[in-house]
Amino acid sequence: MSGLTRGRRARRGGLAVALAALLAAATACTSSPPSPPLPPTPTTAGAGALRVLAGSELQDVQPVLEEAAKATGVSVEFTWTGSLDGADTVSSGRADGRFDAVWFPSNQYLRLDPTGRTKVLSQTPVMVSPVAVGVRSSVLGGLGWGDGSKVTWAQIGDAAAAGKLAYGMADPTRSNSGFSALVAVASAFSGAGAALTEADVQKATPQLKQFFTGQKLTSGSSGWLAQAYTRAEPGKVGALVNYESVLLSMNRTLPADQQLTVVRPVDGVVSADYPLSLLASAQPNRKDAFQKLSAYLLTPDAQKRLSERTLRRPVTAGVAPAAGLPADGRKELPFPGTRAVADGLLASYQNDLRRPSRTVYVLDTSGSMAGQRIGALKAALAKLTGSDDTRGARRFRNREQVTLISFASSVKWSRTHLVPASGSGPGPEAELKAIDADVQSLAADGGTALYDSLEQAYRAIEQQQAAAGDDRFTSIVLMTDGESNEGAAEADFRKFHDGLPAGEKSIPVFPIKFGEAAVGQLQGLADMSGGKLFDGGGSLDGVFEEIRGYQ
Amino acid sequence: MERSRALGVLAALALLGGVTIALIPDDSKDPDLKPMATVTVTGLIGSEKRTFFENADVKAELAKQGLVVQVDSTGSWTMREQAKSNPKLDFAFPSSSAPAQDIQRNWGLKDSPPVPFYSPLVIVTRESVAKVLRQSGMAAVDPAGVWTFQMDAYLAALESGRKWEDLPAAQGNATLSGRLLVTTTDPESSSSGALYLALLSYVANNHQVVSDDAGVAKVRDVLYKATSLQGAQKSSSDEPFRDFEAGVGRPLVFGYESQVATLPLQGQSGEDKVVVMYPDTTVFSDHTMVARTPNGQKLASVLRDDDALHTLEAKFGFRTADRPTAFAEQTKDHLPKLAPDLKSANVRQADVPSLDYLTKLTKAAKGAQG
Repeated sequence: MSGLTRGRRARRGGLAVALAALLAAATACTSSPPSPPLPPTPTTAGAGALRVLAGSELQDVQPVLEEAAKATGVSVEFTWTGSLDGADTVSSGRADGRFDAVWFPSNQYLRLDPTGRTKVLSQTPVMVSPVAVGVRSSVLGGLGWGDGSKVTWAQIGDAAAAGKLAYGMADPTRSNSGFSALVAVASAFSGAGAALTEADVQKATPQLKQFFTGQKLTSGSSGWLAQAYTRAEPGKVGALVNYESVLLSMNRTLPADQQLTVVRPVDGVVSADYPLSLLASAQPNRKDAFQKLSAYLLTPDAQKRLSERTLRRPVTAGVAPAAGLPADGRKELPFPGTRAVADGLLASYQNDLRRPSRTVYVLDTSGSMAGQRIGALKAALAKLTGSDDTRGARRFRNREQVTLISFASSVKWSRTHLVPASGSGPGPEAELKAIDADVQSLAADGGTALYDSLEQAYRAIEQQQAAAGDDRFTSIVLMTDGESNEGAAEADFRKFHDGLPAGEKSIPVFPIKFGEAAVGQLQGLADMSGGKLFDGGGSLDGVFEEIRGYQ
Repeated sequence: MERSRALGVLAALALLGGVTIALIPDDSKDPDLKPMATVTVTGLIGSEKRTFFENADVKAELAKQGLVVQVDSTGSWTMREQAKSNPKLDFAFPSSSAPAQDIQRNWGLKDSPPVPFYSPLVIVTRESVAKVLRQSGMAAVDPAGVWTFQMDAYLAALESGRKWEDLPAAQGNATLSGRLLVTTTDPESSSSGALYLALLSYVANNHQVVSDDAGVAKVRDVLYKATSLQGAQKSSSDEPFRDFEAGVGRPLVFGYESQVATLPLQGQSGEDKVVVMYPDTTVFSDHTMVARTPNGQKLASVLRDDDALHTLEAKFGFRTADRPTAFAEQTKDHLPKLAPDLKSANVRQADVPSLDYLTKLTKAAKGAQG
């Protein structure tokens, strides 16, 4: 199953605090055990335990759930996933029988699906946090935005278009925070004054394109985004789009010069209300546990602690929000009312609005990949060339430049494709077919010159950048099933990487561990480049799809 | 509507189907401790009644009657699906008569189900917003402090595409922008959303209940606007209220008076008080008890007839037809101000269309063509 991770049980959460929890979210939101591997997870839930499929943002509630377990006898076994992947899991019925409840920042997308909505029996908002823009204090001063309390989306868009504001935002097809921001900014720019229609999105397109020229970081999860912000060179990324609660929580541990001022645009926000949701398929004893837990979480005591710990806003009357949460109201911008508008907006973000991507795949086709393995690799990559993808979550996007490098003892071949822009003829299908043809021609034999081949990827990127003179989201995916046994060694590569110009040094490498891959080498590459290690051992399809959120 | 007479009929019907619960022989020496056979009654309720059934006093009073009640809360219209698929339920307790009729039909029950209590539908807002509406001729407040919301003026605003920015009184209030709209739950899953359509259709149909296809055609456009402009809607009435509590900026939230009646007083002294506005024509939510088993019937009659439960029901904001003063007594000092008596507040009641027409109106609101 794509995008699911068996996580830690609630009682382990006492160790987590603020940013620590936030950063944990980054590693926990993979389709596989993060590295270093987690301690073994209990596989059987206790009598009262509730199996909850949850958005990785919610890891910070675990201490309150430990208290809930003491008070109610109901413990929770979490499995973490991204919001939209989670909605798919529920809609498709894959959650039936495996989970008793789901807990995402929002159920709005799930509810747009006629099947998805019948899967949820009841839901209770537990806390609220609007999606906001956290602006580095030094940047805020330079923009002349005062204390940030009167800023509009148009001002943010203008600053982005003028190159004065570079920000990070999670991929809207993966993460509710990114999706909410996309809805908010599209609503604000269209002047709709009500729920978006397809015509509103069309109308707002030029301004949206300008707004997204400022997006310099993308991510499949809000946790990794926070990490990427803290490690970006000073001045490169001046703002982060995320939940108000995440931004304020980051401030608890960020150094003075990286502190974020939370800007909730005055023309409106989209808020998450974290509905704890009982699945219709849950057994009666699990329903009891669910009722006990949700009743407990709505008590004034639990609400107060939730607000103080997570900096989200309480939903129970009479409970004051934690100190530091601003009291002045913001208009709530409506979320689209149909799946067609929601998916259309997402597809248009991927294919037209966002900065285009430069994506390089470095693929191990050594002898050990023969048979089932190369078959799995071809199948996983083929899925990225299919057109059956209404919201643009998987397939190579219009305007994306895709390079495939097949290597063994040396690079066998390297081929580059540019998917045409929307509206150009012929459409993207021909190019996608050409990519698939290259994928299907992959053949396994030879050794594994991993580092040499990876260096080739940087050279290819260098040439492509020089030729096009453009500014794209650039990343490298490295898939291997073994360890480097020919050519440059790890130390050689480290030297090579150190010598790269700053722009190339910060290109994230996303290694995929497959078969007998050397985890240490791959983790080293992820750490060195600011990327992230993925485990293809479970489902190679799922991992290739998940990485799309980071490309 | 002659509520008390209707209820009398219902009460008689329920008594015919009444059940007795056997008492365990009293083997206790203490005459005050007469253990009773307790039975567990399982059912589905609308989320707006959850705090009532979870309350310790309510549980204790039901236990005195030998009842332990186990409930799942869900949107009243989603309840129809759940009621179909779960054969073990003793009862379903939606918050309006339309889904109750459907569940009745599905369970093969004939008797008219009892309505132990009811609640008018209201609009929750902040004082600053209520004042803007009053200055714009869309709301009024009487000397007793009871607010009303002018449905005809609202209908005109909906039809003409009025925005908050168009109201001079709204200038300078940044939370008031965009289309002037009441936020409701999804009429396909929740009865408060469906009751909103019932209300709006009644007002748009020259204050007549819609009872033919010509009526549906007449109100189709305005229902579609009122729904589609909201975008995604929540599935049950608990959700928009909790969002409102948390400060989510939807200025006008449609819901049950009973929900507001249970909001605690804290926070009312703050900057911008919560205000309840009664639509000058509104619909009532008839909390209708569909009992499938003898145990379910026992619960229904206890909720309707037990005096101590009447007081508790009023405490949770429900108006009981059997003792109308209970609500006024319980809420006389409540903030936000509630109407002790709907008639003297000049709140008129709109009839709710039949289930068939309510279903047609819901489809029209969701954009289905004629």
